[in-house]
Amino acid sequence: MTAMQETQWIGVSAPRREDAPLIRGRGRFIADVEPVGTLHMAILRSPFAHARIVGLDATAAAALGGVHCVLTADDLDGIGAFPTIWRLPGQKDSDTPALAPGKARYVGEPVAAVVADSRYIAEDALDLIDVDYEVLDHVVDVEAALAEGAPVINEEMGDNAIIEYTFPGINALGVAGDIEGAFAEADEIVSGCLKVGRYSGVPLETRGLVAEWDDLRQALTLHSESQVASLLRTELAAALGLSETSVRILTPNIGGAFGNKWDRYPEDILVSLAAMKLGRPVKWIEDRRESLQATVHGREQLQEWQLAAKADGTILGLKGRVLSDQGAHLHSVGIGPAWVTGAVAVNQYKIANYHCDVVGVATNKTPNSTFRGFGGPEAIFGIERMMDKTARRLGIDPAELRRMNMIQPDEFPYFSPSGGVYDSGSYPEALEKALEAVGYDDLRETQQSLREQGVYRGIGIASYIHVSGFGPSAILGILDYYTGGYEGSTVKIDPHGRATLYTGMIPMGQGTETTLAQVAADQLGMDISNVKVVWGDTDQTPYTGFGSAGSRSNVAAVAIIKAIEEIKAKAVRIGAGLLEADPEDVAYRDGRISVKGAEEMRSLTLAEVAQQAYWAHHIPEGDQPGLEATYVYDPANFTTASGTHVAVVDVDIDTGKIDWVKYVVVDDCGTIINPLLVEGQIHGALAQGLGGAMLEEFVYDEETGQLLSSTLMDYLLPSFTDLPDFDVHHLVTPSPHTEGGFKGMGEAGCFPSAPALANAVTDALSHLGVEVDQTPVTPSRLWTLIDQAGKQ
Amino acid sequence: MAETRSVSLNINGAGSTIMVEPRKTLADAIREDLGLTGTHLGCEHGVCGACTVLLDGEVVRSCLLFAVQADGARITTIEGIGSGTTLHPMQRAFSRYHGLQCGFCTPGMILAGIDVLSRNPDPSPQEIREEMGGNICRCTGYQKIVESVQAAAAEMADEGGGA
Repeated sequence: MTAMQETQWIGVSAPRREDAPLIRGRGRFIADVEPVGTLHMAILRSPFAHARIVGLDATAAAALGGVHCVLTADDLDGIGAFPTIWRLPGQKDSDTPALAPGKARYVGEPVAAVVADSRYIAEDALDLIDVDYEVLDHVVDVEAALAEGAPVINEEMGDNAIIEYTFPGINALGVAGDIEGAFAEADEIVSGCLKVGRYSGVPLETRGLVAEWDDLRQALTLHSESQVASLLRTELAAALGLSETSVRILTPNIGGAFGNKWDRYPEDILVSLAAMKLGRPVKWIEDRRESLQATVHGREQLQEWQLAAKADGTILGLKGRVLSDQGAHLHSVGIGPAWVTGAVAVNQYKIANYHCDVVGVATNKTPNSTFRGFGGPEAIFGIERMMDKTARRLGIDPAELRRMNMIQPDEFPYFSPSGGVYDSGSYPEALEKALEAVGYDDLRETQQSLREQGVYRGIGIASYIHVSGFGPSAILGILDYYTGGYEGSTVKIDPHGRATLYTGMIPMGQGTETTLAQVAADQLGMDISNVKVVWGDTDQTPYTGFGSAGSRSNVAAVAIIKAIEEIKAKAVRIGAGLLEADPEDVAYRDGRISVKGAEEMRSLTLAEVAQQAYWAHHIPEGDQPGLEATYVYDPANFTTASGTHVAVVDVDIDTGKIDWVKYVVVDDCGTIINPLLVEGQIHGALAQGLGGAMLEEFVYDEETGQLLSSTLMDYLLPSFTDLPDFDVHHLVTPSPHTEGGFKGMGEAGCFPSAPALANAVTDALSHLGVEVDQTPVTPSRLWTLIDQAGKQ
Repeated sequence: MAETRSVSLNINGAGSTIMVEPRKTLADAIREDLGLTGTHLGCEHGVCGACTVLLDGEVVRSCLLFAVQADGARITTIEGIGSGTTLHPMQRAFSRYHGLQCGFCTPGMILAGIDVLSRNPDPSPQEIREEMGGNICRCTGYQKIVESVQAAAAEMADEGGGA
């Protein structure tokens, strides 16, 4: 590893450059993009969970004043569909055109689209489209969907089992473990059936698009909030039959994305097609009801676990079966999140023997796809609930059971039985730090006396790993994940010595522009105000196969560091010529190019060297004029962030209401670029994790297949009064694989929050034997558990 | 064409008259007819608070009002907070204390925060949480917003004391 520039900006809570327009109301979000002559699209969606479309008459809609066109499935001849990019062997993909061709498979599936002078008129026209539906039997539950005689959602597949993937279990030596032997040897086998609720990112800004078509130049410009503009460009061009050079994706401010805007959607095709057809800009802004119905959902899994342990607490093996409710069809990432659940369920523990079957199941619900955490939070919910169940069964304190089974700091790199390699971590230290910060021993001591006073206080521990920085592209290939895991950066130094950084990353609220500028400023030894960051324009920025996620800055940062290393080396070569010194004797430091040992006398500023680089009068042989470099960094390995959370709650056993006492976080994401922004990301991810743990749920009606929580009055986002103050602490265990030692961090907060809460509530009610095995644990759900326990 | 009505209002201190359909929401009129896009639409059914504006000094959700209902009213949007290059203490505090991430809820949050302090210049964290409970943020987990409002309160108290 090359020695890093003396740090000036990495580790500093630099103020966010993003803020200035946003606090003045001068951000430019997708709804604010309105080219001259823009028309507005509205989309007719299926009101039924499962229905054949027998007829569709749009005559009256098309005739309404102000309507420019109506698009139906018939208009999509020759138009492709977006592929699933994670294609595991045996996976049954269904071709999903942008408008349901003959059958709607979930409430909210697009059926037709209207383009009109205003959104108001477009919506009026939707009411005039006459669709003749033949309603079919539906199924909204995974077990019912797998049962004999269940309605088949995608007929070409034959049944609703989309794929079954088995993690065979490989031990640290790369050979298969002995799962049956482990279970035969066990003193206790602890079983758990857990249900992780269906919820999602629900960004405050819904999706939206504006498409512009220039027929003379055959140029399509799509203003989009996609987190992965490069991939969208590739796939959109293919779907529309355009050359990729004809498509440009521009990204405005994004009002939250949380993974949901990573996927490709039918509307990307529909607005583009309408703009090309009409020769006018076409805009679509999703309304909230549409958003809850038609932006991808996340999480929902039914998990069955069995954990084999010795009486002394040694964990011998873990068996699992995960049924992932995929909704009507696979979306952009297939069963990817559920696959990740199977891959990381052994978490921080030395579990040598492992077996897990992951089954993707089709139901008549909105597709379940990318959402912050991507299968990790589901895994951590499973294993951390199982750890507490096992501790209770064995009569061992839950902290002690974790402590005795954790992977130790000297055991890295650690080969997990699901085939992963953990790079580094300080798991026991994080646990101890969290216990100390929360005052664990005191809490345990006072718990019984409080209970006698009628205060039901519970303490819930959850430890986690967060595998981030996906990944070496070759490994993604082995996993049948059809995109690369690299990030590219181009850095250009202008003749005045200032830097412009081009990144494929798409900022969506995390402060990415600021943190990437910090990395560049740090490496170049210049003030951050001298670094400009260019993003959000596929005509200018590097291709990124993976796209932006909350945990990608660690990969992008290395690409920047590497590009700047090349620039500095070239600056040294040019500077050496000007200083009449041997390049070996010249060094770049703090933004100056100087002869070593004579820094006061023989030294040039970067601006002086840059000016020479562009005049090019004295360029060393073999060098090109100018001062810029591009580096595409493909990670050497995944990075593994980790930590422990402890939740402390009081439960009102008469109402099922949960009151916060404390929430402690110890987070280890390696080297921290900007502490303030890291804290913000932890808080936000925690809020999202706790939202899904306590409130948020897409509820489907068994009888009708309708989504019942399709307004924000029914789908409850956490508000100011639902969340506690978070007490956040850090450990820094740098990744040995990456320059700078950064690990991904934007998602980690949502990993252990649900199990920490569930463990705390279970602990508070241990005298009743209540087990919180389903999220969200709403007051009514908890009250029912308490009521049932009391009746036993 | 659909029937339109004339609506005259005072927006951020300046008089303006617009012609709108009776069914047009105040939020859409502010954004489309008055060109002030800092007022955001997060749900259009009165839950999220992103479209918060001050109407005759009162906090309202502009998605739940028709523009015609605002005839003759005095409206303040985020663009009317601070003056020129000078930021309001609430805006400064949000930036300094990381009270925003994506920034979509921020205009509504800043207006709601200003409204809270206009009624209670020295609120406790719990009072801030309760008073601002009608505005949803999906990014921050709220703690940094509470800190921002507290910091703005302190700064405004200092300014008031020095005046």
